[in-house]
Amino acid sequence: MRNYENLVIVKPTLTAEEIQNSIKAIEEVITSNGGEIATTDSMGMRKLAYQIDKNERGYFHVIYYTVAPSSISEIERRFRINEELLRFVTIKYDTNREVSAWNSLVEKANKKAAVSAKVETPVVEAPVAEETPAVEAPATEAPAAE
Amino acid sequence: MSEKRKYKKRYCKYCEAKVDFMDYKDVGALRFSLSERYKIMPRRLTGNCKRHQDMISIVIKRARAAALVPYTVTRKAVVTAPFENLR
Repeated sequence: MRNYENLVIVKPTLTAEEIQNSIKAIEEVITSNGGEIATTDSMGMRKLAYQIDKNERGYFHVIYYTVAPSSISEIERRFRINEELLRFVTIKYDTNREVSAWNSLVEKANKKAAVSAKVETPVVEAPVAEETPAVEAPATEAPAAE
Repeated sequence: MSEKRKYKKRYCKYCEAKVDFMDYKDVGALRFSLSERYKIMPRRLTGNCKRHQDMISIVIKRARAAALVPYTVTRKAVVTAPFENLR
């Protein structure tokens, strides 16, 4: 088993729901090939640095996973068939230094996911407590979220 | 007639910060080694050491493949807001 990271860019023309579905399908490809997804990090809709198939934007999603090296070619083959993907980049983390970097990246992504989950809950309840300062809002919501 | 030094003495900023690993998704950090036309800056101008220059060139090429950083900026393919993406 080896550590990998995959960045996939999903077509921007899809609706938000379709994007989530296609990302699920992508993760399914990895897990069905014996991969274990450590964490995922969605960078959201971003402007591309250059046009890809006449698209100016794309939905960036990063998947960190471990899988046997032999199944990477199969995963990439499946990605190439997928027409909802504009681009994918597979990165191998092999040496000790890279593996520790991979671990820290996974941790960072986990933290980011936790923070965004925490931020989302106050946003939903923000209209209820309109007058309270923004600084206090997360502090009061945080215990409730946990 | 001793030649005067034209620029400051250069040192590797990555060595100073003790960078062990660079992430290609962190586009803001790549700015230092990119010219305004998004070429990879040569070592003689940035003062990077060989080890870190090798690292940054790999990382920039990955970022280019991932459409985070453009390959070229020409007059025809003008980037409207070139550094909008690089926060």
